[in-house]
Amino acid sequence: MNLLGYIARRLLLLGPMLVGITLFSFLLSHAVPADPVTANLGEQAAADPEAVAAFRQAWGLDRPLHQQYLIYLWNLARGDFGTSISTKQAVVLDLRQRFPATVEVAIVAMAISLIVGVPLGILSAVKRDSLVDQVTRVLSLVGVSVPVFWLGLVALLVFYARLGWAPSPGRLSAGIIPPTFVTGFLLIDSLREWRMDAAVDALQHLALPAFVLSSYTLGMITRITRGSLLETLGEDYVRTARAKGAPNLTVIVRHAARNGLIPVVTMVGLSFGRLLSGAVVTESVFAWPGLGLYAFRSATSLDFPAIMGVGIVIATIYILVNLLVDIAYGLLDPRIRVG
Amino acid sequence: MALNRASCSAEAMAPRRSAARSGGILRYIPRPFRRSPLTIVASLVVIVWVLLAILAPIISPYGPLQQDIVKRLGPPTEAYWLGTDVLGRDILSRILYGARISIPVGVAAVILAAVLGSIVGSAAGFVGGLLDELMMRVTDVMLAFPTVILALVITAALGAGIQNAVIAIMVAWWPSYARLVRGLVLAIKEREYVLVARALGASGSRLLRMHVLPNIVSPIIILSTLDVGHAILTFASLSFLGLGPPPEIPEWGSMIAAGRDYFDQWWIGTFPGLAILSLTMAFNIVGDSLRDLLDPRLRKL
Repeated sequence: MNLLGYIARRLLLLGPMLVGITLFSFLLSHAVPADPVTANLGEQAAADPEAVAAFRQAWGLDRPLHQQYLIYLWNLARGDFGTSISTKQAVVLDLRQRFPATVEVAIVAMAISLIVGVPLGILSAVKRDSLVDQVTRVLSLVGVSVPVFWLGLVALLVFYARLGWAPSPGRLSAGIIPPTFVTGFLLIDSLREWRMDAAVDALQHLALPAFVLSSYTLGMITRITRGSLLETLGEDYVRTARAKGAPNLTVIVRHAARNGLIPVVTMVGLSFGRLLSGAVVTESVFAWPGLGLYAFRSATSLDFPAIMGVGIVIATIYILVNLLVDIAYGLLDPRIRVG
Repeated sequence: MALNRASCSAEAMAPRRSAARSGGILRYIPRPFRRSPLTIVASLVVIVWVLLAILAPIISPYGPLQQDIVKRLGPPTEAYWLGTDVLGRDILSRILYGARISIPVGVAAVILAAVLGSIVGSAAGFVGGLLDELMMRVTDVMLAFPTVILALVITAALGAGIQNAVIAIMVAWWPSYARLVRGLVLAIKEREYVLVARALGASGSRLLRMHVLPNIVSPIIILSTLDVGHAILTFASLSFLGLGPPPEIPEWGSMIAAGRDYFDQWWIGTFPGLAILSLTMAFNIVGDSLRDLLDPRLRKL
């Protein structure tokens, strides 16, 4: 099968998957035993039958479940995610404001993981069993095992409270006027207005959360790179290249790494879910106004339109990232397309 | 994709140069363990934590709720090795008692997820057809949600607490076991010895019991061991967010959360985190080595 056919087939499967995600989000936030009425109205108002009836009617909770879902789906098709019960804003608007904050930190975290993890993994495999290798292996194991929220707290303790190198939690310092919201990415928005002060400040705020969030993916990518490269370094074609007198660096980069890095591509997609999971706690530690914090707040207040919205968006991001990874995989390794 | 959480590199299996050459007592330790000092240390760490958890009431210098209000927010001293928290409770004692929650919760959540996932997965793989298709689509959708977010929503809905957190982790995790087991069952179903047994007239349940199950047990154990550390981590995350047990109960995640407001008292949040780190790291190392020992084929996952 050619590459276009492969991509088309993958895209075709995306539709039913997205419908499945909406159904699951809906069931999850509606079929639970907890009562959103008490959570959102408070004990006092919940004792008043009229207030309860009004609330149920306003949110469509008095209709049968399947009707509620169909109404939700119909609205969703028109880009309407409903209104958040706690922020009293359209959920779309809430998500639009928070989405860039999370994507910004996730992209930087993934970039750190790749820029540091891949060379480190290669070095570790090439210098197998050396001191560098031992240290790298232990560090990557720490990265995979460390609780992100604790790492964030310790990072704040050291770099903010003690050394004063890092700015206070949040996306911008209090004195900086935020740039106009265009893309929502503070870096892009401030550079658009030539606001260097805001851009630098945003970058300083971004550094620590991104490093903390990257701990898992960095560890994982280093491990995968090392393991996969160790395998390719033992392959016949690598030995042949060596025997033909190719310089060591050429053998490693052109022959071993080229093939050895394919599993790393898959890992990027798979560990993205863990990155988004980590975003919930990281954003909570760094008071980062992103999707993770929004998911947490809406889940604890049983704000079901918001939970559904954020659930659908996060699951969709994850699926799209993995779709891109699969396509990249197909590009890199023609054998996949056939299978 | 299903093995998302289990996939680790092949690095742990790289042959070690420093193999125990002579015999002695080391001979009785399985080879991958013997060849890697790191694995032995990690196994010891797990064993020590389990012992500490069991013996906590005896060895803790103080009770987990015992307050010494004069010494509150005190730094590590001879009387309080790891310092005291805002109510003057001993951090060391609370960490020891915390192991009594984290370890059982991690193990229970993983066992429940593994059992549920294995039942669904083997049914889907064995029966095939519509059931299989349905199961695959359900797990596809569930795996699209990051586990912490899924567990977060479920716990929030069920209400905070240990039991609900365990249920939430189980619900979020069974799909990866179902996918693993389904794949294994599908492969084993076509093996010659199974076909022969079927031709000889063995019933479906006998095939499943005698031929399929014994072959899927070790991959499940490997994935489970690798997962216990991750489950402990997820539980601590939920607890950190305030969805675990109430704050007076000594639990590592909520102890770290308590340290957020006291930047000058670094010991409050730092030590419980080290406890989590040491335990999850140890479980990860042991899981890796167990995989080499029981099933080298899984390296590629």
